[in-house]
Amino acid sequence: MNIQTAYFGEVEIDPTNILTFQFGLPGFENEKEYILLPLEENSVFQVLQSVQSAALTFIITNPYDITTNYSFDLEEATIHALEIKDEKEVAVFAIVTLKETIAKSTINLKAPIVLNTTNKKAKQVILNNEDYLIRHLISSESKEG
Amino acid sequence: MLVLSRKAGETIYIGEDIEIVISEVKGEQVKIGIRAPRNIDIIRGELRQDVSASNTEAVITNLDIFKKIKE
Repeated sequence: MNIQTAYFGEVEIDPTNILTFQFGLPGFENEKEYILLPLEENSVFQVLQSVQSAALTFIITNPYDITTNYSFDLEEATIHALEIKDEKEVAVFAIVTLKETIAKSTINLKAPIVLNTTNKKAKQVILNNEDYLIRHLISSESKEG
Repeated sequence: MLVLSRKAGETIYIGEDIEIVISEVKGEQVKIGIRAPRNIDIIRGELRQDVSASNTEAVITNLDIFKKIKE
C-alpha cells in the first residue's frame, strides 16, 4: 500500500510493518497506526510516520545509542497490553524533539515507546523513574557532544 | 463528568476491581489510595499532560537539521 508523507512524498509500505498504538500517543490519541521509515542521512535516527496523516511525523532513536545505563522495568500493564511473551521481542525507542542543532535537541527518556516486534503492538509508556526526563538534552551526553 | 462528594476514609468503586480510597484531606491536598489490577496504568494527570506537550513539540516541521549534520 502507498501512504502520503510530508517529507518523502508518496511512500510504498508493507502493511505488515504497520505499528499499532491501541490508544495512540498522548496528544495524538486518534492516530493509532504508524510506520518506521529510515532517515538515510543519519542512521541513528528513524522516522515514525503516521499512516493516516502525512504531516504527523516524529523522529525517534534508540535511547541506548544516545545514553549510557538507560534501563527500566516493563510494567505488567505494558506486558499485558502488548502481549509480550519474551523480552527478546521487545524494542525500545525514544522520541526526539529537534531544535536548531542536535546538541540543543532533546530526547524523551521518561516516556519511551515500547514495541512488541512480533505483533507490532506499541505503546508510549510513562516511567515512574525520577532519573529520566521528558526533555533530556542530547548534548548532556558526551558521545554526541 | 460524574462528581461525587466523599469524606476521608470513604471509598468509590469503579467496576468490580478498582477501588479509590480518600485517605486524607488536609487543606488543599487530598491523599487518594488506588487499588487496581496491575494491568491498569495509573499516571498523574500533569505528567501525562507534559508528555502530551512534549509529543506536540516533537512533531517535525522540517528535516533541514539533518542536512547540516551531513555536511
